[in-house]
Amino acid sequence: MNEKNPHPQKNLKNTLLDRIEREKLQPRSRMFFHSKECVIWALWLISVAVGALAVAISVFVVTHRQYEIYEATHENWFTFMVEVLPFIWVFVFCAMALFAVYNIKHTKKGYRYSVSTILASSIVLSFAGGSALQFFGLGYSIDAILGNQMPIYMSQVKIERQLWQQPEEGRLIGKQVATTVATSSIIIFEDGAGSRWRVEVQELAPKDMTLLASGINVRMLGETMSDPAKIFHACGVLPWMMHKGVTAQQMSDQRESFLQRANQVAQKTENSIADLEKELFIEDGAIDEQTKPICANIAAMRRISNRD
Amino acid sequence: MDADTPQNLTDVQIVAKTLVDKQFFGEIVDRYEAKLKRYIARLGVRNPDDQLDVLQEVFLKVYKNLNAFDRSLQFSSWIYRIAHNEAISWYRKKNVRPEGHLIADSEELIGFLSAKEDAQDADFDKTINASEVNQALLKIDAKYCEVIILRFFEHKDYEEISDILKIPVGSVGTLLHRGKKQLADELNSEAIRM
Repeated sequence: MNEKNPHPQKNLKNTLLDRIEREKLQPRSRMFFHSKECVIWALWLISVAVGALAVAISVFVVTHRQYEIYEATHENWFTFMVEVLPFIWVFVFCAMALFAVYNIKHTKKGYRYSVSTILASSIVLSFAGGSALQFFGLGYSIDAILGNQMPIYMSQVKIERQLWQQPEEGRLIGKQVATTVATSSIIIFEDGAGSRWRVEVQELAPKDMTLLASGINVRMLGETMSDPAKIFHACGVLPWMMHKGVTAQQMSDQRESFLQRANQVAQKTENSIADLEKELFIEDGAIDEQTKPICANIAAMRRISNRD
Repeated sequence: MDADTPQNLTDVQIVAKTLVDKQFFGEIVDRYEAKLKRYIARLGVRNPDDQLDVLQEVFLKVYKNLNAFDRSLQFSSWIYRIAHNEAISWYRKKNVRPEGHLIADSEELIGFLSAKEDAQDADFDKTINASEVNQALLKIDAKYCEVIILRFFEHKDYEEISDILKIPVGSVGTLLHRGKKQLADELNSEAIRM
Protein backbone atom coordinates (compact mmCIF):
# COMPACT_ATOMS: atom_id res chain seq x y z
CA MET A 1 0.00 0.00 0.00
CA ASN A 2 2.71 2.44 0.98
CA GLU A 3 4.95 1.42 -1.90
CA LYS A 4 2.29 2.67 -4.32
CA ASN A 5 2.04 5.86 -2.40
CA PRO A 6 5.33 7.70 -1.73
CA HIS A 7 3.56 10.55 0.16
CA PRO A 8 0.84 8.73 2.04
CA GLN A 9 -0.06 11.59 4.37
CA LYS A 10 -0.95 13.85 1.45
CA ASN A 11 -3.35 11.30 -0.01
CA LEU A 12 -4.93 9.77 3.05
CA LYS A 13 -8.24 11.52 2.41
CA ASN A 14 -8.45 10.28 -1.18
CA THR A 15 -7.27 6.80 -0.25
CA LEU A 16 -9.98 6.56 2.39
CA LEU A 17 -12.74 7.92 0.18
CA ASP A 18 -11.68 5.53 -2.60
CA ARG A 19 -11.70 2.63 -0.23
CA ILE A 20 -15.11 3.58 1.14
CA GLU A 21 -16.41 3.77 -2.45
CA ARG A 22 -14.69 0.60 -3.65
CA GLU A 23 -15.68 -1.55 -0.66
CA LYS A 24 -19.14 0.07 -0.56
CA LEU A 25 -18.68 0.82 3.13
CA GLN A 26 -21.61 2.33 4.96
CA PRO A 27 -21.94 3.65 8.49
CA ARG A 28 -23.64 1.08 10.70
CA SER A 29 -27.26 2.00 11.35
CA ARG A 30 -28.27 4.04 14.35
CA MET A 31 -30.66 1.22 15.24
CA PHE A 32 -27.69 -1.16 15.62
CA PHE A 33 -26.06 1.02 18.27
CA HIS A 34 -29.37 1.84 19.89
CA SER A 35 -30.24 -1.87 20.16
CA LYS A 36 -26.81 -2.63 21.61
CA GLU A 37 -27.32 0.04 24.26
CA CYS A 38 -30.81 -1.28 25.02
CA VAL A 39 -29.50 -4.84 25.43
CA ILE A 40 -26.85 -3.64 27.88
CA TRP A 41 -29.42 -1.70 29.90
CA ALA A 42 -31.79 -4.68 29.82
CA LEU A 43 -29.02 -6.94 31.14
CA TRP A 44 -28.37 -4.39 33.88
CA LEU A 45 -32.06 -4.36 34.76
CA ILE A 46 -32.11 -8.16 34.88
CA SER A 47 -29.05 -8.22 37.12
CA VAL A 48 -30.65 -5.72 39.51
CA ALA A 49 -33.94 -7.66 39.43
CA VAL A 50 -32.24 -11.00 40.17
CA GLY A 51 -30.22 -9.21 42.86
CA ALA A 52 -33.51 -7.92 44.30
CA LEU A 53 -34.88 -11.46 44.30
CA ALA A 54 -31.80 -12.68 46.14
CA VAL A 55 -32.28 -9.88 48.68
CA ALA A 56 -36.00 -10.70 49.05
CA ILE A 57 -35.25 -14.36 49.84
CA SER A 58 -32.36 -13.43 52.15
CA VAL A 59 -34.51 -10.86 53.98
CA PHE A 60 -37.25 -13.44 54.35
CA VAL A 61 -34.79 -15.96 55.81
CA VAL A 62 -33.16 -13.51 58.18
CA THR A 63 -36.40 -11.95 59.45
CA HIS A 64 -38.04 -15.34 59.75
CA ARG A 65 -35.18 -17.25 61.28
CA GLN A 66 -34.04 -14.72 63.86
CA TYR A 67 -36.96 -15.71 66.12
CA GLU A 68 -36.58 -19.41 65.53
CA ILE A 69 -36.22 -21.77 68.51
CA TYR A 70 -32.66 -22.50 67.44
CA GLU A 71 -31.93 -24.10 70.82
CA ALA A 72 -34.14 -27.02 69.81
CA THR A 73 -32.01 -27.98 66.84
CA HIS A 74 -28.55 -26.47 67.36
CA GLU A 75 -26.00 -25.79 70.06
CA ASN A 76 -26.10 -22.05 69.42
CA TRP A 77 -27.53 -19.35 67.17
CA PHE A 78 -24.40 -19.16 65.04
CA THR A 79 -24.38 -22.82 64.00
CA PHE A 80 -28.11 -22.57 63.36
CA MET A 81 -27.73 -19.55 61.06
CA VAL A 82 -24.84 -21.18 59.19
CA GLU A 83 -27.17 -24.07 58.38
CA VAL A 84 -30.21 -22.06 57.34
CA LEU A 85 -28.70 -18.98 55.66
CA PRO A 86 -29.26 -19.07 51.90
CA PHE A 87 -25.59 -18.84 50.85
CA ILE A 88 -26.50 -19.57 47.25
CA TRP A 89 -28.57 -16.36 47.22
CA VAL A 90 -25.82 -14.38 48.90
CA PHE A 91 -23.52 -15.60 46.13
CA VAL A 92 -26.14 -14.78 43.46
CA PHE A 93 -26.53 -11.29 44.93
CA CYS A 94 -22.76 -10.65 44.83
CA ALA A 95 -22.52 -12.02 41.29
CA MET A 96 -25.43 -9.86 40.13
CA ALA A 97 -23.95 -6.74 41.74
CA LEU A 98 -20.70 -7.33 39.82
CA PHE A 99 -22.63 -8.08 36.62
CA ALA A 100 -24.56 -4.82 37.07
CA VAL A 101 -21.26 -2.92 37.36
CA TYR A 102 -19.97 -4.67 34.22
CA ASN A 103 -23.11 -3.70 32.30
CA ILE A 104 -23.17 -0.07 33.39
CA LYS A 105 -19.48 0.25 32.57
CA HIS A 106 -20.33 -0.88 29.02
CA THR A 107 -23.08 1.67 28.45
CA LYS A 108 -22.24 4.80 26.50
CA LYS A 109 -21.53 6.94 29.52
CA GLY A 110 -20.94 4.27 32.13
CA TYR A 111 -17.21 4.98 32.25
CA ARG A 112 -17.93 8.34 33.85
CA TYR A 113 -18.93 6.71 37.11
CA SER A 114 -16.57 4.99 39.48
CA VAL A 115 -16.96 1.28 40.21
CA SER A 116 -17.81 2.08 43.83
CA THR A 117 -20.60 4.48 42.81
CA ILE A 118 -22.13 1.98 40.38
CA LEU A 119 -21.73 -0.88 42.85
CA ALA A 120 -23.32 1.13 45.67
CA SER A 121 -26.24 2.27 43.51
CA SER A 122 -26.87 -1.26 42.19
CA ILE A 123 -26.79 -2.66 45.74
CA VAL A 124 -29.15 0.06 47.00
CA LEU A 125 -31.56 -0.61 44.11
CA SER A 126 -31.43 -4.36 44.71
CA PHE A 127 -32.08 -3.84 48.42
CA ALA A 128 -34.98 -1.48 47.74
CA GLY A 129 -36.45 -3.88 45.17
CA GLY A 130 -35.82 -6.88 47.40
CA SER A 131 -37.47 -5.25 50.40
CA ALA A 132 -40.48 -4.35 48.24
CA LEU A 133 -40.73 -7.92 46.92
CA GLN A 134 -40.48 -9.33 50.43
CA PHE A 135 -43.16 -6.86 51.58
CA PHE A 136 -45.52 -8.66 49.19
CA GLY A 137 -44.33 -12.07 50.39
CA LEU A 138 -42.48 -12.91 47.19
CA GLY A 139 -39.30 -13.91 49.01
CA TYR A 140 -41.07 -16.88 50.56
CA SER A 141 -43.08 -17.70 47.42
CA ILE A 142 -40.14 -17.81 45.04
CA ASP A 143 -38.06 -19.82 47.48
CA ALA A 144 -40.92 -22.30 47.87
CA ILE A 145 -41.61 -22.49 44.10
CA LEU A 146 -37.94 -23.15 43.36
CA GLY A 147 -37.93 -25.80 46.08
CA ASN A 148 -40.93 -27.50 44.50
CA GLN A 149 -39.59 -27.33 40.96
CA MET A 150 -35.94 -28.21 41.59
CA PRO A 151 -35.16 -31.28 43.70
CA ILE A 152 -31.61 -30.04 44.24
CA TYR A 153 -32.71 -26.63 45.59
CA MET A 154 -33.00 -26.50 49.37
CA SER A 155 -35.86 -24.12 50.07
CA GLN A 156 -36.50 -22.96 53.62
CA VAL A 157 -39.53 -25.26 53.79
CA LYS A 158 -37.30 -28.22 52.91
CA ILE A 159 -34.65 -27.14 55.43
CA GLU A 160 -37.30 -26.74 58.11
CA ARG A 161 -38.73 -30.19 57.36
CA GLN A 162 -35.25 -31.71 57.39
CA LEU A 163 -34.48 -30.05 60.73
CA TRP A 164 -37.68 -31.15 62.43
CA GLN A 165 -38.47 -34.55 60.95
CA GLN A 166 -35.75 -36.22 63.05
CA PRO A 167 -37.37 -38.73 65.45
CA GLU A 168 -34.02 -40.07 66.62
CA GLU A 169 -33.07 -36.50 67.61
CA GLY A 170 -36.36 -36.00 69.42
CA ARG A 171 -38.06 -33.82 66.82
CA LEU A 172 -41.20 -34.46 64.81
CA ILE A 173 -43.40 -32.47 62.48
CA GLY A 174 -46.98 -33.37 61.71
CA LYS A 175 -50.38 -33.15 63.38
CA GLN A 176 -52.59 -34.86 65.89
CA VAL A 177 -54.93 -37.20 64.03
CA ALA A 178 -56.69 -38.96 66.89
CA THR A 179 -56.97 -39.15 70.65
CA THR A 180 -57.00 -42.20 72.85
CA VAL A 181 -59.33 -42.86 75.72
CA ALA A 182 -56.82 -41.17 78.01
CA THR A 183 -56.57 -37.90 76.02
CA SER A 184 -54.54 -36.23 78.76
CA SER A 185 -51.73 -38.79 78.51
CA ILE A 186 -51.55 -40.21 74.95
CA ILE A 187 -52.55 -38.96 71.51
CA ILE A 188 -52.04 -40.32 67.96
CA PHE A 189 -49.76 -38.15 65.84
CA GLU A 190 -48.97 -38.47 62.14
CA ASP A 191 -45.50 -37.19 61.23
CA GLY A 192 -44.19 -35.62 58.02
CA ALA A 193 -43.16 -39.02 56.67
CA GLY A 194 -46.67 -40.41 57.16
CA SER A 195 -45.83 -42.59 60.20
CA ARG A 196 -48.24 -42.70 63.12
CA TRP A 197 -46.89 -42.25 66.64
CA ARG A 198 -48.37 -42.79 70.09
CA VAL A 199 -47.33 -39.59 71.80
CA GLU A 200 -47.13 -39.29 75.58
CA VAL A 201 -48.30 -35.79 76.48
CA GLN A 202 -48.27 -35.82 80.30
CA GLU A 203 -45.50 -33.22 80.53
CA LEU A 204 -47.00 -30.80 78.01
CA ALA A 205 -48.28 -27.40 79.11
CA PRO A 206 -52.00 -26.66 78.54
CA LYS A 207 -51.15 -24.32 75.66
CA ASP A 208 -49.18 -27.09 73.93
CA MET A 209 -52.19 -29.38 74.31
CA THR A 210 -54.45 -26.72 72.79
CA LEU A 211 -52.11 -26.39 69.82
CA LEU A 212 -52.12 -30.15 69.25
CA ALA A 213 -55.87 -30.40 69.61
CA SER A 214 -56.38 -27.68 66.98
CA GLY A 215 -55.24 -30.20 64.34
CA ILE A 216 -52.83 -27.80 62.64
CA ASN A 217 -49.34 -28.77 61.55
CA VAL A 218 -46.95 -28.49 64.46
CA ARG A 219 -43.35 -29.13 65.41
CA MET A 220 -42.90 -31.35 68.41
CA LEU A 221 -39.90 -31.56 70.69
CA GLY A 222 -39.35 -34.56 72.99
CA GLU A 223 -37.78 -37.98 72.97
CA THR A 224 -38.39 -41.17 71.02
CA MET A 225 -39.09 -43.89 73.57
CA SER A 226 -39.32 -46.68 71.00
CA ASP A 227 -38.84 -46.23 67.28
CA PRO A 228 -40.15 -49.63 66.19
CA ALA A 229 -43.20 -49.23 68.41
CA LYS A 230 -43.48 -45.53 67.43
CA ILE A 231 -43.78 -44.17 70.93
CA PHE A 232 -42.72 -40.57 71.50
CA HIS A 233 -42.62 -38.53 74.71
CA ALA A 234 -43.56 -34.90 73.98
CA CYS A 235 -41.97 -31.99 75.88
CA GLY A 236 -43.03 -29.01 73.81
CA VAL A 237 -45.17 -28.10 70.81
CA LEU A 238 -44.68 -25.27 68.33
CA PRO A 239 -46.89 -24.31 65.43
CA TRP A 240 -45.49 -24.88 61.90
CA MET A 241 -44.65 -21.32 60.90
CA MET A 242 -42.92 -21.76 57.58
CA HIS A 243 -45.56 -20.16 55.40
CA LYS A 244 -46.15 -16.92 53.59
CA GLY A 245 -48.37 -14.95 55.96
CA VAL A 246 -46.26 -15.29 59.10
CA THR A 247 -44.87 -11.99 60.40
CA ALA A 248 -41.73 -11.40 62.40
CA GLN A 249 -43.94 -10.25 65.28
CA GLN A 250 -45.85 -13.56 65.29
CA MET A 251 -42.56 -15.45 65.23
CA SER A 252 -41.25 -13.38 68.10
CA ASP A 253 -44.44 -13.93 70.13
CA GLN A 254 -44.31 -17.68 69.51
CA ARG A 255 -40.69 -17.81 70.61
CA GLU A 256 -41.36 -15.86 73.79
CA SER A 257 -44.39 -17.97 74.62
CA PHE A 258 -42.54 -21.25 74.02
CA LEU A 259 -39.55 -20.18 76.12
CA GLN A 260 -41.93 -19.20 78.91
CA ARG A 261 -43.68 -22.59 78.77
CA ALA A 262 -40.36 -24.44 78.72
CA ASN A 263 -39.19 -22.48 81.75
CA GLN A 264 -42.43 -23.19 83.58
CA VAL A 265 -42.08 -26.93 82.87
CA ALA A 266 -38.45 -26.85 84.03
CA GLN A 267 -39.36 -24.89 87.17
CA LYS A 268 -42.20 -27.29 87.93
CA THR A 269 -39.83 -30.23 87.54
CA GLU A 270 -37.25 -28.66 89.84
CA ASN A 271 -39.90 -27.91 92.46
CA SER A 272 -41.28 -31.44 92.34
CA ILE A 273 -37.79 -32.91 92.74
CA ALA A 274 -37.10 -30.59 95.67
CA ASP A 275 -40.42 -31.62 97.25
CA LEU A 276 -39.56 -35.27 96.74
CA GLU A 277 -36.13 -34.78 98.32
CA LYS A 278 -37.76 -33.10 101.32
CA GLU A 279 -40.31 -35.87 101.65
CA LEU A 280 -37.61 -38.52 101.54
CA PHE A 281 -35.25 -36.52 103.81
CA ILE A 282 -32.35 -36.81 101.34
CA GLU A 283 -29.72 -34.26 100.27
CA ASP A 284 -30.11 -31.80 97.38
CA GLY A 285 -29.14 -33.49 94.08
CA ALA A 286 -29.35 -36.96 95.56
CA ILE A 287 -32.03 -37.96 93.07
CA ASP A 288 -30.19 -39.11 89.98
CA GLU A 289 -30.92 -38.05 86.40
CA GLN A 290 -32.61 -41.34 85.55
CA THR A 291 -35.38 -40.83 88.03
CA LYS A 292 -36.11 -37.23 86.96
CA PRO A 293 -38.96 -36.57 84.50
CA ILE A 294 -37.93 -37.26 80.88
CA CYS A 295 -38.15 -33.64 79.63
CA ALA A 296 -35.73 -32.44 82.33
CA ASN A 297 -33.05 -34.68 80.80
CA ILE A 298 -33.41 -33.63 77.19
CA ALA A 299 -30.47 -31.45 76.10
CA ALA A 300 -32.60 -29.25 73.88
CA MET A 301 -35.06 -28.55 76.70
CA ARG A 302 -32.20 -27.72 79.06
CA ARG A 303 -30.78 -25.30 76.48
CA ILE A 304 -34.19 -23.70 75.97
CA SER A 305 -34.80 -23.27 79.69
CA ASN A 306 -31.22 -22.00 80.22
CA ARG A 307 -30.38 -24.82 82.57
CA ASP A 308 -27.33 -26.08 80.72
CA MET B 1 -16.25 32.64 2.75
CA ASP B 2 -19.58 30.89 2.36
CA ALA B 3 -21.00 29.96 5.72
CA ASP B 4 -22.05 26.57 4.35
CA THR B 5 -18.61 25.51 3.15
CA PRO B 6 -17.37 22.43 5.03
CA GLN B 7 -14.58 24.46 6.64
CA ASN B 8 -17.15 26.63 8.42
CA LEU B 9 -19.21 23.78 9.80
CA THR B 10 -18.79 22.36 13.27
CA ASP B 11 -17.66 18.76 13.74
CA VAL B 12 -21.18 17.72 14.66
CA GLN B 13 -22.57 19.36 11.51
CA ILE B 14 -19.95 17.62 9.39
CA VAL B 15 -20.89 14.27 10.96
CA ALA B 16 -24.56 14.90 10.15
CA LYS B 17 -23.69 15.83 6.55
CA THR B 18 -21.37 12.81 6.15
CA LEU B 19 -24.25 10.53 7.02
CA VAL B 20 -26.07 11.95 4.00
CA ASP B 21 -23.11 12.45 1.65
CA LYS B 22 -19.90 10.48 2.24
CA GLN B 23 -17.78 13.15 0.47
CA PHE B 24 -18.07 15.30 3.61
CA PHE B 25 -16.01 12.65 5.41
CA GLY B 26 -12.99 14.11 3.67
CA GLU B 27 -13.39 17.21 5.85
CA ILE B 28 -13.15 15.09 9.00
CA VAL B 29 -9.95 13.54 7.64
CA ASP B 30 -8.58 17.00 6.83
CA ARG B 31 -9.33 18.28 10.31
CA TYR B 32 -7.97 15.37 12.30
CA GLU B 33 -5.27 13.67 10.20
CA ALA B 34 -2.37 15.73 11.50
CA LYS B 35 -3.61 15.81 15.11
CA LEU B 36 -4.21 12.07 15.25
CA LYS B 37 -0.95 11.29 13.51
CA ARG B 38 0.88 13.30 16.14
CA TYR B 39 -1.14 11.65 18.89
CA ILE B 40 -0.48 8.07 17.78
CA ALA B 41 3.17 8.98 17.31
CA ARG B 42 3.23 10.21 20.90
CA LEU B 43 1.63 6.98 21.96
CA GLY B 44 4.63 5.21 20.46
CA VAL B 45 3.76 4.33 16.85
CA ARG B 46 6.86 5.89 15.35
CA ASN B 47 7.25 4.23 11.96
CA PRO B 48 5.53 6.40 9.23
CA ASP B 49 4.14 3.34 7.45
CA ASP B 50 2.69 1.99 10.68
CA GLN B 51 1.27 5.43 11.44
CA LEU B 52 -0.49 5.46 8.09
CA ASP B 53 -1.92 1.98 8.64
CA VAL B 54 -3.18 2.91 12.07
CA LEU B 55 -4.63 6.20 10.82
CA GLN B 56 -6.46 4.46 7.99
CA GLU B 57 -8.01 2.01 10.43
CA VAL B 58 -8.95 4.86 12.75
CA PHE B 59 -10.75 6.81 10.05
CA LEU B 60 -12.48 3.73 8.66
CA LYS B 61 -13.72 2.90 12.16
CA VAL B 62 -14.87 6.48 12.58
CA TYR B 63 -16.78 6.27 9.32
CA LYS B 64 -18.39 2.91 10.07
CA ASN B 65 -19.37 4.00 13.57
CA LEU B 66 -20.52 7.54 12.85
CA ASN B 67 -23.98 6.68 14.16
CA ALA B 68 -22.45 5.64 17.47
CA PHE B 69 -21.12 9.15 18.06
CA ASP B 70 -22.86 10.58 21.09
CA ARG B 71 -23.52 14.22 20.32
CA SER B 72 -23.38 15.13 23.98
CA LEU B 73 -19.63 14.45 23.79
CA GLN B 74 -17.06 16.44 21.88
CA PHE B 75 -16.35 14.88 18.51
CA SER B 76 -12.63 15.31 19.11
CA SER B 77 -12.83 13.23 22.29
CA TRP B 78 -14.65 10.50 20.42
CA ILE B 79 -12.17 10.38 17.54
CA TYR B 80 -9.19 10.51 19.94
CA ARG B 81 -10.72 7.57 21.80
CA ILE B 82 -10.87 5.55 18.59
CA ALA B 83 -7.29 6.53 17.76
CA HIS B 84 -6.15 5.57 21.24
CA ASN B 85 -7.86 2.18 21.05
CA GLU B 86 -6.52 1.56 17.58
CA ALA B 87 -2.95 2.37 18.66
CA ILE B 88 -3.28 0.00 21.61
CA SER B 89 -4.66 -2.81 19.46
CA TRP B 90 -1.87 -2.17 16.95
CA TYR B 91 0.68 -2.86 19.72
CA ARG B 92 -1.20 -5.98 20.71
CA LYS B 93 -1.51 -7.24 17.16
CA LYS B 94 2.16 -6.64 16.50
CA ASN B 95 3.04 -7.85 19.98
CA VAL B 96 5.39 -4.90 20.52
CA ARG B 97 5.93 -2.21 23.09
CA PRO B 98 5.63 1.49 22.21
CA GLU B 99 8.69 2.53 20.25
CA GLY B 100 9.43 5.49 22.49
CA HIS B 101 7.27 8.54 22.90
CA LEU B 102 7.67 11.44 20.55
CA ILE B 103 8.22 14.21 23.02
CA ALA B 104 9.85 17.11 21.29
CA ASP B 105 8.50 19.77 23.61
CA SER B 106 9.54 18.35 26.95
CA GLU B 107 10.13 21.83 28.38
CA GLU B 108 6.40 22.13 28.55
CA LEU B 109 6.10 18.97 30.60
CA ILE B 110 8.97 20.02 32.83
CA GLY B 111 7.18 23.31 33.32
CA PHE B 112 4.03 21.49 34.35
CA LEU B 113 5.90 19.09 36.56
CA SER B 114 7.73 21.82 38.38
CA ALA B 115 4.68 24.07 38.69
CA LYS B 116 4.17 25.40 42.19
CA GLU B 117 1.28 23.09 43.04
CA ASP B 118 3.32 20.04 42.17
CA ALA B 119 6.66 21.21 43.49
CA GLN B 120 6.65 18.77 46.39
CA ASP B 121 6.21 15.86 44.00
CA ALA B 122 8.50 17.01 41.23
CA ASP B 123 11.68 18.14 42.82
CA PHE B 124 14.19 17.37 40.09
CA ASP B 125 16.84 18.93 37.96
CA LYS B 126 15.35 21.15 35.26
CA THR B 127 18.22 20.65 32.88
CA ILE B 128 16.98 17.29 31.63
CA ASN B 129 16.37 17.08 27.91
CA ALA B 130 13.65 15.67 25.66
CA SER B 131 15.37 12.35 25.16
CA GLU B 132 15.53 11.81 28.94
CA VAL B 133 11.81 12.57 29.22
CA ASN B 134 11.16 10.10 26.39
CA GLN B 135 13.18 7.45 28.21
CA ALA B 136 11.43 8.17 31.49
CA LEU B 137 7.98 8.03 29.83
CA LEU B 138 8.81 4.59 28.48
CA LYS B 139 9.58 3.38 31.97
CA ILE B 140 6.48 4.61 33.78
CA ASP B 141 3.21 2.64 33.74
CA ALA B 142 1.30 2.88 30.45
CA LYS B 143 -1.85 4.12 32.24
CA TYR B 144 0.08 7.14 33.59
CA CYS B 145 1.87 7.75 30.33
CA GLU B 146 -1.42 7.92 28.37
CA VAL B 147 -2.87 10.53 30.72
CA ILE B 148 0.31 12.61 30.73
CA ILE B 149 0.42 12.65 26.94
CA LEU B 150 -3.21 13.74 26.65
CA ARG B 151 -2.90 16.39 29.34
CA PHE B 152 0.48 17.93 28.59
CA PHE B 153 0.96 17.31 24.88
CA GLU B 154 -2.55 17.15 23.47
CA HIS B 155 -3.73 19.82 25.95
CA LYS B 156 -6.95 18.01 26.75
CA ASP B 157 -8.91 18.96 29.83
CA TYR B 158 -9.90 16.40 32.47
CA GLU B 159 -13.35 15.81 31.02
CA GLU B 160 -11.97 15.22 27.54
CA ILE B 161 -9.35 12.82 28.91
CA SER B 162 -12.13 11.05 30.79
CA ASP B 163 -14.10 10.69 27.54
CA ILE B 164 -11.07 9.56 25.53
CA LEU B 165 -9.79 6.97 27.98
CA LYS B 166 -13.27 6.06 29.25
CA ILE B 167 -12.41 6.53 32.89
CA PRO B 168 -14.10 8.70 35.55
CA VAL B 169 -12.94 12.33 35.76
CA GLY B 170 -11.77 11.70 39.32
CA SER B 171 -9.52 8.90 38.12
CA VAL B 172 -7.96 11.25 35.55
CA GLY B 173 -6.80 13.52 38.38
CA THR B 174 -5.49 10.59 40.38
CA LEU B 175 -3.64 9.06 37.43
CA LEU B 176 -2.18 12.39 36.48
CA HIS B 177 -0.94 13.07 40.00
CA ARG B 178 0.61 9.61 40.34
CA GLY B 179 1.97 9.74 36.80
CA LYS B 180 3.75 13.03 37.41
CA LYS B 181 5.22 11.66 40.61
CA GLN B 182 6.37 8.47 38.91
CA LEU B 183 7.83 10.46 36.02
CA ALA B 184 9.64 12.81 38.40
CA ASP B 185 11.03 9.83 40.33
CA GLU B 186 12.15 8.25 37.09
CA LEU B 187 13.83 11.45 35.94
CA ASN B 188 15.51 11.85 39.32
CA SER B 189 16.84 8.32 39.29
CA GLU B 190 18.10 8.85 35.74
CA ALA B 191 19.89 12.01 36.91
CA ILE B 192 21.48 10.09 39.81
CA ARG B 193 22.66 7.32 37.46
CA MET B 194 24.21 9.89 35.16
